[in-house]
Amino acid sequence: MSFSPHSRRDFLQTAGAATLGALLAGYPRRVAADETGPIKATADSVIILWMAGGMAHTETFDPKRHTPFAKGLKPGDVLSTFPDIPTSVDGIRFSAGLENLARVMDRGTLIRSYTAGDLGFILHSRHQFHWHTGYAPPQTVACPHLGAVISRTLGPLNPALPAFINIGQRFDVGEGEELKAFTTAGFLGSEFGPFNIPFPEQAAQTIQPPLGMTPGRFQNREKFYRQLLARNPVMLHGSDYQRESLVRSVDNAHRLLNSPAARAFDLSLEPKESLLKYTGGIADLSQVSAAGQTRDGSYEKSTVGRFGLGCLLARRLIEAGARFIEVTTEYIPFLNWDTHENGHEKLVHMKKAIDAPVAQLVLDLEARGLLDRTLIVLATEFSRDSLVEGKPDKLVKDQVPVPDKIEDLKHYGMHRHFTDAGCVLLFGGGIKKGHLHGVTADERPCKTLADRVVIEDLHATIYQTLGISPKLAYEVEKRPFYVTRDGLGQPIRAILARG
Amino acid sequence: MIRHRLFVLAALGWLSLPVQAALSPEQKRSLPPPVGRPVDFAKDIQPLLQNSCAQCHGRGKDKGGFRIDTRETFLQGGDAGPGAVAGRSADSLVIELVSGLDPDNLMPQKGRRLTAEQVGLLRGWIDQGLPWPKEITFARQPIENLRPQQPPIPPASRQAGEHPVDRLLQPYYERHKVGKAPPVEDRLFARRVYLDVIGLLPPPEELEAFARERAPDKRERLVHRLLANNHRYAEHWLSFWNDLLRNDYKGTGYIDGGRKQITAWLYRALATNQPYDRMVAQLINPPPEAEGFLKGIVWRGAVNSSQTPAMQAAQNLSQVFMGVNLKCASCHDSFINDYTLADTYALANVFSDEPLELFQCDKPTGIKAETRFFYPGFGVISASAKRPERLRQLSEIITSKDNGRLSRTVVNRLWARFFGRGLVEPVDEMDGPAWHPDLLNWLAEDLVAHGYNLKHTIATILTSRAYQRPAVPGGEGPEAHYVFHGPLVRRLTAEQFRDALTSLTGAGYAQPAAQVDWLAGQPESVRQTLLRQAAPLVVSEATEVPTNHWLTWFGRELSLTGRIERAAAVVAASDVFTVFVNGQAVGGSRKAKEPAHLDLHKHLREGINQVVLQIGAKPGAEAIKGKDGKKAAPPPKLLPKGFAGFFEIQAGGRTVSFHADDAWRYATGNEDTKPDLSRTAAWAAVPESAGGGPAAGLDARAVAAAIFQRSEMGRVRAAWVAADPLAMALGRPNREQVCTVRPTQATTLQALELTNGGTLAAVLRAGAEKLLANHPTGNRRLVEVIFQRGLGRPATAGEIALAAPLVGEPVRAEGIEDLLWSVAMLPEFQLIY
Repeated sequence: MSFSPHSRRDFLQTAGAATLGALLAGYPRRVAADETGPIKATADSVIILWMAGGMAHTETFDPKRHTPFAKGLKPGDVLSTFPDIPTSVDGIRFSAGLENLARVMDRGTLIRSYTAGDLGFILHSRHQFHWHTGYAPPQTVACPHLGAVISRTLGPLNPALPAFINIGQRFDVGEGEELKAFTTAGFLGSEFGPFNIPFPEQAAQTIQPPLGMTPGRFQNREKFYRQLLARNPVMLHGSDYQRESLVRSVDNAHRLLNSPAARAFDLSLEPKESLLKYTGGIADLSQVSAAGQTRDGSYEKSTVGRFGLGCLLARRLIEAGARFIEVTTEYIPFLNWDTHENGHEKLVHMKKAIDAPVAQLVLDLEARGLLDRTLIVLATEFSRDSLVEGKPDKLVKDQVPVPDKIEDLKHYGMHRHFTDAGCVLLFGGGIKKGHLHGVTADERPCKTLADRVVIEDLHATIYQTLGISPKLAYEVEKRPFYVTRDGLGQPIRAILARG
Repeated sequence: MIRHRLFVLAALGWLSLPVQAALSPEQKRSLPPPVGRPVDFAKDIQPLLQNSCAQCHGRGKDKGGFRIDTRETFLQGGDAGPGAVAGRSADSLVIELVSGLDPDNLMPQKGRRLTAEQVGLLRGWIDQGLPWPKEITFARQPIENLRPQQPPIPPASRQAGEHPVDRLLQPYYERHKVGKAPPVEDRLFARRVYLDVIGLLPPPEELEAFARERAPDKRERLVHRLLANNHRYAEHWLSFWNDLLRNDYKGTGYIDGGRKQITAWLYRALATNQPYDRMVAQLINPPPEAEGFLKGIVWRGAVNSSQTPAMQAAQNLSQVFMGVNLKCASCHDSFINDYTLADTYALANVFSDEPLELFQCDKPTGIKAETRFFYPGFGVISASAKRPERLRQLSEIITSKDNGRLSRTVVNRLWARFFGRGLVEPVDEMDGPAWHPDLLNWLAEDLVAHGYNLKHTIATILTSRAYQRPAVPGGEGPEAHYVFHGPLVRRLTAEQFRDALTSLTGAGYAQPAAQVDWLAGQPESVRQTLLRQAAPLVVSEATEVPTNHWLTWFGRELSLTGRIERAAAVVAASDVFTVFVNGQAVGGSRKAKEPAHLDLHKHLREGINQVVLQIGAKPGAEAIKGKDGKKAAPPPKLLPKGFAGFFEIQAGGRTVSFHADDAWRYATGNEDTKPDLSRTAAWAAVPESAGGGPAAGLDARAVAAAIFQRSEMGRVRAAWVAADPLAMALGRPNREQVCTVRPTQATTLQALELTNGGTLAAVLRAGAEKLLANHPTGNRRLVEVIFQRGLGRPATAGEIALAAPLVGEPVRAEGIEDLLWSVAMLPEFQLIY
């Protein structure tokens, strides 16, 4: 199976009508030009791989001294609960459990000095809001998600696919309202908002007729609608903008659902051997489910493969010409990367959930010649530590309780929230290969020592690869809203292949 | 150096310049050449002046004595001499300064240098004689719509009619050559006013009756009749005010007490048509149930100083009630209007528990905030007063009759709602002029003169001929030179769309997401009936019972004939309770005094039935005795005990209803002694004295409200529930920010949700089942019903011929679903013409 990423026919069918029309139609105006002239893009598409809940740097991509479990350990003596392993790049070592990613490290750049926003209380959803919009809530205007900015600025790559696709997050979970607050196009207008696929295993349903409706009936319904429209008395005379745009939007929806690109959503079309590489050996899609939402530690086990399917879906969508995709391990309070206890055990599963699929995504895109023009960014809202909450010199309130001595495996792990260092892994799209950026301390607190990276700069870097200026602004209520806070973001030139 | 400078002050701008400007011939040659083409001021020059000059020389600023307000002031120049010489750009001071030939005297001083192209444009413009349309000015705009003003109303005439709105518009029509337009026909008018007043489609019977009616004042009477439906009116306008006051059932902040709903307060205010000035006064100086608006949304942790709760309150209050945008001026003096950082902080200080210090762009300035309202002359707020007193003072200032802005802002919002565009646009920028100032002023003063009665203003607008003009197709964006021709074609809101589907199919939401005092919206007679049905039956303390009797039972017999079609009850009791029908537990409540909804349908039978309520709970044996050193449970506090409940049963085509009256008998005991109604000796009549005794903590009003709510179950309107994916796709905002205008654009993502989303599909499935149950035969009849209900007109022969085969004969649920979808996607359904 193959898709043409830039099908001219699709474009002619949907452009003009859908997004290009919307660009002209009363949506916020682009105001600020950039001073340096046009930026040459090195990427066409972006995939954000979201490690929701706070991925500890010392347990993943920035391992420190390994302290094996023993009763009576002091939490302050534990830096890493896993041994380290070599990667394909000399001088870069990962934490055990990430062997597949270690093998592809030579394709990408590792940032170890990402510093999360200084927001007082550590609140996952608030930091996630900050990461995804570049602004800390609350704000006087509805801030757009990174994906919405890209959707608004560049439009879809293949107009038969939504420009902003969001995979793997449900919103009926704890803090779901807070997640909704940033998973939005905000003031840019809903045309640029996320196309949500909460269950990657059911992605095909999002482009199929409503549940229980056969394709034949679906087609018949559309045909009937057109006939009814043709006989509608109101349609017979005059014309008005509202009416035209309404009819056009229904047309677009059907074109999108019927387009060849829509087959990218159907994971059942993926060859079995390929599927297995992403799901950790599960061949039956129905076995990958989001059910079993429990806090007893079995949740991660029961959902292995779900994130992998998200990665597979992302690959298929990139092949079909998607612009911006986010795949999340899913944020649910106290689950997945949100390890308030039993951190070591849980991370064994979390690493299993991401290691093979992410590495496979990199290799598959490379094999298809798409990695060069696709930027992959694996990131998280903040890191974790077994002792320090917040920043070493600026402790926050409401610390996760940690016992004086570790007597039980459940106390062994990184259970507090740490903001003074963190890892971001990037591949493709004009990013340096086999490169390390940033230095952290080898002893607690394992904080950033050099080349600090903040969200404005990370966003500026992502925008830079897409040819978007960090000073780009859209007008809202007559004032400019910059795509990086106050237009201050600076691309991290040291990690760009072209500098 | 160009030449010797007389004043080499390194001071500000124009002031430091010499009186005479001149470039050497050589320098003149090095200037960028003027553009050859004709220059368009609005397109080429206005944006340039706006971006590069206006910050220091416009909007009331005059650095160096130079103002670019008009062509005249531009030519006149400032302290350094004339700004330009028409026709001679190379000799013009402005060109010398922007050219950068003298690096010490370069304009603009702030921001980016002009490019060579821009200098060329300016030169071309000056050489072409500085064409400058009179209506474009950079002068500080006077603040409009602030003080009360009573305009004269032109006389009534045959052309204009009697209505003041139309009389005010008549000269406008003549001036703008807007032709006479016949009013829209009855059905279209009715559809408009139903949707605008109560948010619902007109029911076919009412629509037909209205169309048949002959009375000349029938349109006025329809408007008033709809406005008199307090409950439906409140349900519809709830969404409008929820958007403005950012009130919702779900959203950020609720998770940890950082936000508070005002739904119950708002419903009551709308249902009782509270005067608008009273509403606003209560929001600014709130009772506990209305404090959610001022409280704002509080996130844990450090918050930007422009976003503290006090700053949010200042911004939201200004935007919603005054049509003033203080958002820019929350970080720094605004660039887009004349409000300053000090203005915003002075207002925020009213709400703050601690005296505020000004923060500029999140950095402390050391300047203490004042305490005042941003418009001078509206009254004083004493900085030394405590917060409640400051709030009271502010509420008086805002709701004072001298504050003409309060009424103008709200009548403009109403106008925008009914016509698709405000008299002032954007509706949140009320400092700007209206396209018909007299009309705005008259409507505002008329509102005040009628005691801030919003329904009065709504009725006034909806009965005007202007409102009855044919709908005008809107453009894609705001028009530069708007001329009023009639209401724009509007789109149903998310709530109107969903409620229209409920009207069409009978399938609405099951339950409301908030409990409010539903009686507030009911007419007195209905209220009395509901309260009678909710009257509690109580066994008072005067009655003696043994102390080991943990439980109280109330029971009665019920004789039914015919098949049981429906049976439901609303019951609240003084303690936890269970209801038994013929010995089977059918439901109850684990909360004392809280009304529960019960479905008895499956448990009743033809003949004699026993209905028994068991009130109270018996602790376990160990708890009664005491165990492991724990004290024994105290003996049951038995009395008073009682219940309130309303039962409604439809059997054999007849409806039987009863409530807690003297047909009920009672008994006490513990679990083992559960009495049987057939053993009459175990039961006693409720003593007479109980009637006037204490109601055992039962709130008859709350029970009455629950009885009312029961009648709405399954047909609950969209305003009462949290946004679902369908509502979000159709533009219901998430209310994290104040929202005064909803987007109406049809988008692809929205159409996808409508086309294959699960929410709408489920609604249509449930709706089709309901329709099928009520119209099991006759596909043509069903098509007629759907068109009549959904579009307010009979289906044409062509439509029936097309749709009948889809619905099928015998009728198929799937066919109905697909017809419903197709009708709901028609512009005729989704738009208001």
